[in-house]
Amino acid sequence: MSVITPEPVTVQEPPVTAPAPQPATKSGLPKRLGFLRPAYWLPLAVLLVGLGILWSVTARDSPYLLPPLASVGEALAANPGFYLSNAWATLAVALVGLAIGFVASFILAVLVSELPIARRAIMPIAVVLSVTPLVAIAPALVVAFGFGPEPKLIVTALICFFPILINVATGLRSVSPAVLQVFTTLHASRLELLWHVRMPSALPYLFTALRVVFPLSIIGAVVAELSAPGAAEGLGTVISVASSNNRLAVVYAAIFCLAIMGSLLLLIITAIEDRVLHWHESRQGAKN
Amino acid sequence: MTLTAPAPSSTADSISIRGAVKIYGSGNGQHVALHNVDVDIKRGQFVSIIGPSGCGKSTLLRLIAGLETADAGTAEVFGVTPERACAAKMIGLVPQAPALLPWKDVLGNVSMPAKVNRRADKLRRRIHGHLERPAPDMLDLLGKAGLTDAVHKLPAQLSGGMQQRTAIVRAFGVQPDVLLMDEPFSALDEFTRESIQEQLLDIWDENKTTVVFVTHSVSEAVRLSDKVLVMSARPGRITASVDITLPRPRSQAMLKTAEFHHFEDVIRDHLQTAWQENPITGSTSIPTPAGAVK
Repeated sequence: MSVITPEPVTVQEPPVTAPAPQPATKSGLPKRLGFLRPAYWLPLAVLLVGLGILWSVTARDSPYLLPPLASVGEALAANPGFYLSNAWATLAVALVGLAIGFVASFILAVLVSELPIARRAIMPIAVVLSVTPLVAIAPALVVAFGFGPEPKLIVTALICFFPILINVATGLRSVSPAVLQVFTTLHASRLELLWHVRMPSALPYLFTALRVVFPLSIIGAVVAELSAPGAAEGLGTVISVASSNNRLAVVYAAIFCLAIMGSLLLLIITAIEDRVLHWHESRQGAKN
Repeated sequence: MTLTAPAPSSTADSISIRGAVKIYGSGNGQHVALHNVDVDIKRGQFVSIIGPSGCGKSTLLRLIAGLETADAGTAEVFGVTPERACAAKMIGLVPQAPALLPWKDVLGNVSMPAKVNRRADKLRRRIHGHLERPAPDMLDLLGKAGLTDAVHKLPAQLSGGMQQRTAIVRAFGVQPDVLLMDEPFSALDEFTRESIQEQLLDIWDENKTTVVFVTHSVSEAVRLSDKVLVMSARPGRITASVDITLPRPRSQAMLKTAEFHHFEDVIRDHLQTAWQENPITGSTSIPTPAGAVK
């Protein structure tokens, strides 16, 4: 590599030897601080700055399309408590709804994986309902249950229900035949098999579902709030009220809060997953 | 031990299969995996089953393990049905794949059998002829298998050979009356294979568990076994039974001796004959080859 050919073919400058650029990229940072390297964050930063400029130009020319970024920041800074309390209201609905959906779907997943009859009856319906946009029933639920928390919790729980059911039911049945044979010859009971083998096997599938379902729970909560314009609080309500008053800056401030909230949830679930699934193949590669 | 010891039956001290028939599928796709198979394995024997693919040797093993039921004939494990033997944890299974739980470390995996089916011990004491043994020290057993340094490692951090050794220790850990091994070393390289064979023999020498070992490898069968059952396919049946009278312990050096090669040749001949005959219908009057005993 480092041998310079007697006559460079096209390039006039001395050819750069291959090993040379490597020390530059490996800037002596420990592996876990690798994200501090410019190569890591620069592309994103450049794109963000570009998008910011595009936004500002658009906002200056047509303020009804987009509010100026500064005004969004002002809206947030002027009343942080307002956004915080409404974000909390939305988050509470999302998490409680998710918890309800989780418990119900997990129980049903165990039932479905243990009883073939239940599986044949329930799974086709579950698959159809999982591809149905369930947020669409939010207005109907508001009609039925009013402006209280019930319709929001039902929508959120329903949205979370089917991805968890399908993934966990698949995970519980993902045990290899050889493992099952070993436990059959030990005469392990179904409960023991469920607890010691099937449930841990389903964990990777559960976390896949959770990474989908955590953001979905926020969507469910916001859509339910949007459908119940009389509701007192929540970022969905803020957006609904602000947009009917043409206060675009407030709308985007609320959306910004939602984005931060969703990202934080995703970060938390990924961190938990890293801890719980440290044994999984996908996490073993880095160590070896 | 027990006050009401049941009368010893003729099969109480052996694994006994009589006239076992197992047929998969039906019509043209019918596959006779086992055709009138008789097997007798005495307590403490190391018996290998060898034969070409599809000769039903795994089916035979699964029959003893209670994972299959015969379409005709009977299977008894030391006087009880395979199902009851499983319920009493008399059977240790080492499948072809190590089948370890990836979220448990080595110690957790080998300790797993003790956590399920806790009623087995009570049941076991009631079965005649069962040898009562104290629960083994798992760390000691892992040490004998050369896994001392790997005790707290996860399966994904182990080599294939270490994973399979963990599976063997797990099976030995329940102090089974019979250890069933289904081509456990077939995925390992030659070198690893031979060192694991040695460790298996070491542990077996101490425990003297009955072992039924399914294999493709002639030299593996000769090195490990007291008796080698040769099977052939279509239909699956036992065509020869060869007693390996080589002295134990059988070291690596013995693999090169003339006696060792003699037994290898005998078994190869049996395999060859079975291959050439290859009768369309399973005749029960297959001549017993000269080398066969019993």
